[in-house]
Amino acid sequence: MMRALLVDDEMHAREELAALLRETGAFEIVGACADAVSALQAIRTRRPDVLFLDVQMPVVSGFELLSMIDDADLPRVVFVTAHDEYALRAFEENAADYLLKPVAIERLARTVERLRVGTGFSDTASQLRQALRRIPCQAGRSIKLVDASEIEFARSSEAGVYVVCARAEYFTELTLRVLEERAGLVRCHKQYLVRIEQVEEVRLGEGTATLVTRSGREVPVSRRLLPTIREQLEG
Amino acid sequence: MRIAVQLVEVLAVFVVIFYLYCRSPAFQPLTPDWPRTRGKVRLYLVFSGIAILGNYLGVPVVEGQAIVNARAVGSVLAGLLGGPVLGLLVGVTSGIHRVTALGGAAALAGAVATTLEGGLGGLVHLALRRKPEQLMTPKVAFLTTLVGEILHMGIVLLLTHPFSRAVAVVEAIGPPMIAMNPLGAALFMTVFLERQREEDRVGAASSERALKVAERSLELMARGFRPEVAAELATIVKEETGVGAVCVTDTESVLAWSGLGADHHRVGKPVASRFTAQALDKNAVVFADGVQQRYGCTLSPSCPLGSVLIIPLQVDGTIVGTVQLFEPRGRRFLNMNRSLGKGLGTLLSSQLLIARYQEQKSLLVLSELKLARAQVNPHFLFNALATIIAILRRDADRSRDLLIHLSNFFRKNLKRQSDISTLAEEMEHVGAYLEIEKARFEGRIVVETDVEPALLHLELPAFTLQPLVENAFKHGISTMLGPGRVSIRARRVEGAVLVEVEDDAGAWVKPADRAGLGMQIVDKRVKNLYGKEFGLSVEFRPQEYTRVSLRLPAEGAPAP
Repeated sequence: MMRALLVDDEMHAREELAALLRETGAFEIVGACADAVSALQAIRTRRPDVLFLDVQMPVVSGFELLSMIDDADLPRVVFVTAHDEYALRAFEENAADYLLKPVAIERLARTVERLRVGTGFSDTASQLRQALRRIPCQAGRSIKLVDASEIEFARSSEAGVYVVCARAEYFTELTLRVLEERAGLVRCHKQYLVRIEQVEEVRLGEGTATLVTRSGREVPVSRRLLPTIREQLEG
Repeated sequence: MRIAVQLVEVLAVFVVIFYLYCRSPAFQPLTPDWPRTRGKVRLYLVFSGIAILGNYLGVPVVEGQAIVNARAVGSVLAGLLGGPVLGLLVGVTSGIHRVTALGGAAALAGAVATTLEGGLGGLVHLALRRKPEQLMTPKVAFLTTLVGEILHMGIVLLLTHPFSRAVAVVEAIGPPMIAMNPLGAALFMTVFLERQREEDRVGAASSERALKVAERSLELMARGFRPEVAAELATIVKEETGVGAVCVTDTESVLAWSGLGADHHRVGKPVASRFTAQALDKNAVVFADGVQQRYGCTLSPSCPLGSVLIIPLQVDGTIVGTVQLFEPRGRRFLNMNRSLGKGLGTLLSSQLLIARYQEQKSLLVLSELKLARAQVNPHFLFNALATIIAILRRDADRSRDLLIHLSNFFRKNLKRQSDISTLAEEMEHVGAYLEIEKARFEGRIVVETDVEPALLHLELPAFTLQPLVENAFKHGISTMLGPGRVSIRARRVEGAVLVEVEDDAGAWVKPADRAGLGMQIVDKRVKNLYGKEFGLSVEFRPQEYTRVSLRLPAEGAPAP
């Protein structure tokens, strides 16, 4: 049984696909999400093997969602959409399969085959994945898209990852690694990333250092990473 | 004194001849750009003739050795009007004539002098050619001739031998020629200017009438070249020109007749006259003045018409018909109407071209519209089917209803042939669309409609509302995470009706895709049908709302 997570903003589409997947007998449905933030959360917590992903969704599209997933967590992806013009792009994203709505059960059987033998999917994370310019964050019940260039630093804590801007900080489902690799932030501490352009001052202590951002917030630098940060600041 | 009086007589004859020339068909008014080759040849012949005539009409003095003459008037005027080359040529021509045909001791001096006077006129022409209104004055003609004649006498003194004879000649011819010829030249210029002004007046009057016809016919011709248009056109042209009768034909038969002879020149009869055939054949204006060429009616011997002007009408190089102006026998065909008629042909032809262009433009809009309808967003169909299939699993009745809505939607899309629809029909069409979208975005959409019942009968182009609602979904509601609201309203505002489609996403960006095309077509069609002040406008506030308003004329909607 493959653990499947469904992401589609349309309720009926989710229900129908869940029913079809159950009929194949090959999947265990671990969740069905209507938006990007809850999808990111579900991917991290429920560790699906396969992601059935709609392309056209409000605010954060299926493709954008893909580039927000930590490579370590990345399941295999099957796109499900009414639009056939995204097929090429899906292929570039190393999708396992591409299903057109309405989905026929016979066609789904082929998807199961592909997933079992592992064709159409490579294990190396896509190099083509785009840089993230907007970071989806939770703001109450809605999604706030934070401009990546406005982020001063990011920190992870027991509760999760927060991105910190001049005015506020936001909880995000993205991991520090994704932010480091795709949002232009630099690792300065095991639990901190910083945006070099937002650093205003470096305070050196005895064997330690603290970065001060434009809005006056302090970010610790670990001894091990201090040389890298210096290099970056000088460059 | 006697000689001076004789010279006046000569000049009087000159002026009469020149006046007759100016009245004759040979006269061509000078155009703002000075005469070209053909005009110069004409001027050369006319003024050489005048100068030679001056030789013959001259009064011999000093035992036939010299002639008191008015030759200089010809060469000076030729120079003034046509430039130095023309002046010199006329001078040389009449000079050679003076020497060879008449002879005498002062002949050579006179010939040289006349040539130089022509050159002098030419120099004045060169100096003032940029300011024709200063050049073409009696004063300039007077002064140039005066200087020329004084020069003339100097040359006689220099070239005539013996000197005593030269003095005798100058004493005899000097006073009358210096006194009279400048006056003669000034008189010539006056006659010439008078004639030129008259030409301008005719031109101005016919331009004014042409503009009036243009104004009245513009809207008419926009409807294309048809029988009912032809009838109105004939009336307009007759009223504006005041001619005896006006006829409009296509290439084969009479489309309209207004005025004299309407009893036997019946609408629908094939064109009979050879002049019409000639105009159609050569695509040229044909004029039968009623004197040399008579319009002979082939239909009735009692037809009162005598002269005719036939103007071909064309669109894109193809002749589509003629407009014909008639005057009865015994009434002169006015020059003004002749020049008006020529302009009219060009004018009406270009109006027809505009009409053709407009027609093609609206055909284009129509085909765009058909294309847009035929291509009803295929994704809409696939998403709708996917939704219905999903619902079928749990609720067969509801999916059945949705399928009926879907087929209603497509039937209205594909089958509605009439171009004009009512708001009620449009609401029905949109209603089917909304039912599908509501199911697709289950629980995420609220649709509000607020249409004054009296407005349901409002007429508007078919397929107008749906693109606006589709736009509200595609670029509005479907981009929102939370629930969205679409409002469709129709209300009266001062003299117009406003149909508004509003969504609360406020995500409007100028749509560039198919939905954008749909909106553009709506705007284009409404503007084409009702005028520029109607059509679409978009109000937008980010994250709050996008409101697309369609402004329509209130006519067609019964008053509340």
